[in-house]
Amino acid sequence: MATTAAPFPPAADLRPNVASADVHFPAIKTYEQVDNEVINTMRPTLGWFVLLGLAILCMLVGAATWTYQIYEGLGAAGYHPPVMWGVYIVSFVFWVGIGHAGTLISAILYLFRAGFRTSIYRVSEAMTVFAVMTAGLFPILHLGRPWKFFYLIPYPNWRLIWPNPKSPLVWDVFAILTYLTVSATFLFVGLIPDFAIMRDREKNPIRKQLFATLAMGWRNSDKEWRHFARAYLFLAAFATPLVLSVHSVVSFDFAMANMPGWHETIFPPYFVAGAIYSGLGMVFTIVIPMRKFFKLEHYITLNDLDAAAKMCLFVSMVVGLAYLTEFQMGWLAGTSFEQEYWWNRAFGQWWWAEWIILVCNCLLPLSLFSQKLRRNPSWLFTLSIFINIGMWFERFVIIVPTLSHEFEPWQWSTYAPTWVDYAILLGSFGWFFMWFLLFIKQMPVMAMSEFKELIPARMKHAAGEGGAH
Amino acid sequence: MSKSTEPKGKGVKRRDFLKILGVSGAAVGAAGCSPESAGKLIPYLVSPDQTVPGVSTYYATTCRECAASCGVIAETRDGRTMKLEGNPDHPLNRGAICARGQSALQQLYNPDRLRAPMIKKGGAWQSASWDEALALVSQKLGEAKSRNAAGGAVFLNQHESGSFPAFADQWLAAFGMKPHLSVDFEADQAAMEANRRAYGVSWPRLDFSQARLVVSFGADFLEGWGASVPHQLDYADARTNFENAPRSVYIGPRRTLTGMNCDQWIPCKPGSELIVAQALAGKASVAQAASASGVGADVLGALARELAAAKPSLLLAGARTANALDLALAVADLNKTLGNVGKTVLPAEPLTAFEGIARYSELADAVERMRGGSVPVAFVRGTNPAYYLPASLKFADAFAKVPFKVAFATQPDETVEACDVVLPDLHSLESWGDAMPVKGTLALQQPAMDPVFGGTRGAGDVMLALAQKDPSAAAKFPQNSYREWVMARFPGGPAGFASGLAKGVMPGTLPVPAAPAPLAMTAPPVLESTAGDFYLITYPHALLGDGRGANKPWLQELPDPVAKIVWSSWVEMHPETATKMGIERGDIVEVKTAHGAIRAPAYLYLGVRPDTIAIPLGQGHRAAAPIPAWDPLHQDPVKNVQWGYGRYARGVGVNPLDLVPAAADAAGGFVWTVTKATVAKTGDRETIPSTEGSARQHGRGIAQAITITDLLSGKGNEVKEAPLPGDASHEYLPGLRAPVAADAQGDIGAPTAADSGTHLGMYDPKNPLGMARRRWAMTVDLARCTGCSACVTACYAENNIPTVGAAWQNATVYAVEKTGYNVVRGREMNWIRIERYFEGAPDAKFGEEWEGRVVPMMCQQCGNAPCEPVCPVFATYHSPDGLNVQVYNRCVGTRYCSNNCPYKVRYFNWFGYGEKDRRQYAFPEPLNWQLNPDVTVRGKGVMEKCTFCVQRIREAENRAKLEHRELIPDEFTTACAASCPSRAITFGDAADERWSVNKLIEDRRAYTVFKEINTYPAVVYLKKVNHPSPAAAGNA
Repeated sequence: MATTAAPFPPAADLRPNVASADVHFPAIKTYEQVDNEVINTMRPTLGWFVLLGLAILCMLVGAATWTYQIYEGLGAAGYHPPVMWGVYIVSFVFWVGIGHAGTLISAILYLFRAGFRTSIYRVSEAMTVFAVMTAGLFPILHLGRPWKFFYLIPYPNWRLIWPNPKSPLVWDVFAILTYLTVSATFLFVGLIPDFAIMRDREKNPIRKQLFATLAMGWRNSDKEWRHFARAYLFLAAFATPLVLSVHSVVSFDFAMANMPGWHETIFPPYFVAGAIYSGLGMVFTIVIPMRKFFKLEHYITLNDLDAAAKMCLFVSMVVGLAYLTEFQMGWLAGTSFEQEYWWNRAFGQWWWAEWIILVCNCLLPLSLFSQKLRRNPSWLFTLSIFINIGMWFERFVIIVPTLSHEFEPWQWSTYAPTWVDYAILLGSFGWFFMWFLLFIKQMPVMAMSEFKELIPARMKHAAGEGGAH
Repeated sequence: MSKSTEPKGKGVKRRDFLKILGVSGAAVGAAGCSPESAGKLIPYLVSPDQTVPGVSTYYATTCRECAASCGVIAETRDGRTMKLEGNPDHPLNRGAICARGQSALQQLYNPDRLRAPMIKKGGAWQSASWDEALALVSQKLGEAKSRNAAGGAVFLNQHESGSFPAFADQWLAAFGMKPHLSVDFEADQAAMEANRRAYGVSWPRLDFSQARLVVSFGADFLEGWGASVPHQLDYADARTNFENAPRSVYIGPRRTLTGMNCDQWIPCKPGSELIVAQALAGKASVAQAASASGVGADVLGALARELAAAKPSLLLAGARTANALDLALAVADLNKTLGNVGKTVLPAEPLTAFEGIARYSELADAVERMRGGSVPVAFVRGTNPAYYLPASLKFADAFAKVPFKVAFATQPDETVEACDVVLPDLHSLESWGDAMPVKGTLALQQPAMDPVFGGTRGAGDVMLALAQKDPSAAAKFPQNSYREWVMARFPGGPAGFASGLAKGVMPGTLPVPAAPAPLAMTAPPVLESTAGDFYLITYPHALLGDGRGANKPWLQELPDPVAKIVWSSWVEMHPETATKMGIERGDIVEVKTAHGAIRAPAYLYLGVRPDTIAIPLGQGHRAAAPIPAWDPLHQDPVKNVQWGYGRYARGVGVNPLDLVPAAADAAGGFVWTVTKATVAKTGDRETIPSTEGSARQHGRGIAQAITITDLLSGKGNEVKEAPLPGDASHEYLPGLRAPVAADAQGDIGAPTAADSGTHLGMYDPKNPLGMARRRWAMTVDLARCTGCSACVTACYAENNIPTVGAAWQNATVYAVEKTGYNVVRGREMNWIRIERYFEGAPDAKFGEEWEGRVVPMMCQQCGNAPCEPVCPVFATYHSPDGLNVQVYNRCVGTRYCSNNCPYKVRYFNWFGYGEKDRRQYAFPEPLNWQLNPDVTVRGKGVMEKCTFCVQRIREAENRAKLEHRELIPDEFTTACAASCPSRAITFGDAADERWSVNKLIEDRRAYTVFKEINTYPAVVYLKKVNHPSPAAAGNA
């Protein structure tokens, strides 16, 4: 036969997939460069003000709509009994899911020593905190009497009435609050050395004082670094199980109920995979434009994106497997309740929603098998939008088709959101991006100190003085 | 006494000091006790005897919502009537009450009630005092009398049995006027005329219990044909006497609720019922009848054979076609030849409530006289001919020719609007009267409360006042009030009347008016010769009747028992026809006849012939322009009257009587099915407000049935269900499960398990945990339930359930202002709903057998309730006596409980239905007077559901406690069970075997819904029993 193996490509063309120090960031030479380039991104620009204004406007639209909804009653939203949960719970699960990629990237990948996390973990961790802050609004938003939300919190009272420990909604309260606390702590601890850099370079006395306070007296001593590294490792280890537990608890909201399509043992791992997946999608959505506008292409390199895309591809297949398993469970359930529910979901009333998720979450990500596309930021950004939409609809498909088609045929119904649902969903994006936009101009979007660790030893002193850290 | 002992000194003496202290203290106290503005907390200043605040008083009186005159007991608390129950001593309804009867309360407290006399001046209504109004009427009467024209006057009265017709006639005679017309548009004149000819009475008693076969020729005996409540009671009793139960067959072009309750539906062409009856009588050949009726000869032949074999049988004729009288006579003849008279048809015990109902032809004659200008003055009381007379009769034009028209009315309607003087009448629950429902029994009517509005006066009293203004009439009416007049005439006088008041009924007779001979009318057109593609059936709505019910939100919100549609009109079409024409459910179709056209959404229903369409009456009241700045919550009693038929009927549906020609049958009755019509698709669509999700139960065993042969042969007994995985090892009492440890799978759930003394059952009296000894439970016998929906209205009345379907009850901003829109979005609040499922092939062709099943579904009060563990705040939890309790104040509104309820019986307050000054307010003044003070009016954002009438449970328990006794078995029951006209619902304590519910739970027909989910419901259903035709059974 005439076929011959292709010759091995020349070494220069090899695109390393594993981050290794010297080839990973060829454009980063010195400590000074890192400090300058990262701190430069924090200068407010007109575009940033416009975006922030837009985000605040969206948030205000949502807030005004919520006020109206509180006054009028939940009927203003599109609920159609027995579909008693709708856009708000869909969005709740969506935002909690978004909140998972951050801790995954910063904690789990840290434990696994995955180098590509360095450039994106700060952003994703901030995204996590803000996403959880957003998610936490929805359970209150969707209450019939939101002014009584504190009934869910175990506060001491003379009537000795406590929340019901059997209810998954109470577990939610604890899970979300725990996750918020830990991820915020983790974000803060990781920021301490960077706060010290900011403190040292800041001219404005007020900001300087602020950064000084936040830096907690960081002096860059070996002892501090040793403590810091231990603390960071400990927090990473502490946060890791939370990545798994929080969304498992959220999945219990459904799995603990006895409805067809909800009462499934697969839900905890399925939800965790979905959460990581949607979080990765959101990371791409945020990081790729940021990388461009902040001119950080040489920090957040194509190698990093490539590695993240591979993870995304892997998780998409895990999610796809979960979908197929669900179908199989519905098929093998042996009860007409499950079987008819699945038929209705995939080919009946809700086929369009089901196929949105199958196309967005399973089919399109298969493109990531192509290295060319993995290294194409435009495609990754486009795909990430599809993943975001697909993952929102995944939660929609979990919640609405079940409630509209369960045991009692007489009560089968449909669901259509109203402008109130959409306005509050818009408001949640406004709220999230408001915090995020404020964050990226107040705090470094990349861990300067960690980057410096990656600069090859032989280059560290090329500029003579170098940075202090 | 103490002259000298007081020491004389300066200053205040001790005694004076005390006096001053006492007086000033009293003054301060008095001042402190008088509020700045005195508000009335309860309507009494001085409480009448026997009235204790917070404790109900019960008045036996008579229902006037239809002509049957059932007995009701009005529960009155603090001077306000809040609930109607059936009078157990009344021979007709025997304690039951239908949905229409209960809705009398919403007429009593209707926010659109007329509150003051009004006079039309220059085309505009102006408020007037009673003196002015009476002077005007008296003057006009005098004028008519002086012109010797009074003889032409017309007095139309909504038919009521008893003394009022005689009173009206005497009063009219005193002014030289002809007797009044006692109108009941729904009355079946043909049946009554045939009865009179055949048996000598208008309405013999029908004894279903003796019959082995019931054949109804279009007679909807369960829903408005005759007195439906006693029919339901008797039919249910007969059908559950299984060994001797009658099979039932319904013959007619449309399968009505009665048709759905019959075992077999024979869909004959409209008007061909007669030839079918003749074929059964052997007077026509079966083949002839088969070709004329469009029914297979085998079906008719089998029926004829069955009829010959089943003795006795009961045949009923109620088709309202042009040949209705011939049909009724043929059927009466059949009853005679089959030997049913005296066995199932009992002329010796006639219903007398329908005596004296004027024929439609008399009404049409009066209209013609009005048109001719020979009517100087017209009176209308409680009846609304301008709505229910067909448009082609042009009543409005004729009525306008009457120079002076007086309305005695409680409510604005189309006829009242056309009058010149409005004299606001008292509601029947505010007035005195009597009735003779059956021969030999008198029913008394007494006010259950003071008039709701001070400006209203009873028509009888007003007529007496008018008589006293006329010199010649005054002598004949010495009484000051209609009450005195009634009592004076009553057997035994006032004392006799008073003696009957406690029970509401007493033996006795009143003279009944003789029925006049039918007037000769022009014959109706031959149905086949009219233009159109479809036979058009119009029929009185099972709940709204001839339109009387349309202003009552309970009845508007109550789904039609068959179509399950609310707040709307619809056109019933067979699915096959609709498919051919490309019409889907909700497509707006235009129905056109030679007389008019209407547009309404199509509803595809297996129960109409493919060549027939059917449209219910009752909606489509004149939608008077809303008055400027019309506010549904606040209304000026005179200026802001919502003309048409009040706010709740405004803009709802269409009136099919705009389509039909005015024609009378040989008995002088109105012909409902008289023309063909063309149907065209318009291209518009709307979602029909309906409570129906899926019309099929998908084999899920919600409404189960068993055939009579299987039941009698004990076939169902052998099948023991295989134990389910995870099921507890022992058999529980149905519905019993550890109430608090709801997830316990062990023996603690067993009612009386005594495991070496440590694990006493939860219900064991010796249980140290102090758990209750009760487990409230309910059985619903589907062999009795007809789907009439009376229980639903009873629940609305008892539990302060808001109606949500009015156009303004949606959100404020960007909301669809459409009547019934909240129901379109599934937000109805019916704690108990009647699910109606069709059984049979999913795409049944016309002619294939199918079955309609109904199942009342309410909170199942599960022993292992899925709603309880998921509530994060314990707003729903298990009470020690086995109830799922809902604490409204604790509820935050996560709605998780509803998500997890397999039965979907939890309802959420999407809006502030209970809050005044909100557009969604469901109880605008004075509808809120009806609210049950024992039950919370729920605020927005909380979940609610059936409570098993926990307020009644606690009331009975407290009463027993006060009387130092135990609860007596079957001492009380829930509102739904109390009202049920077929006695399908039984409530009681499943842990105490003396309660009759226990016996029913052990019935071999008993099952629980979704048993496989292990919820351990406390509601046990008893299977429906079907009687397949012997021919079908023989073939099989």
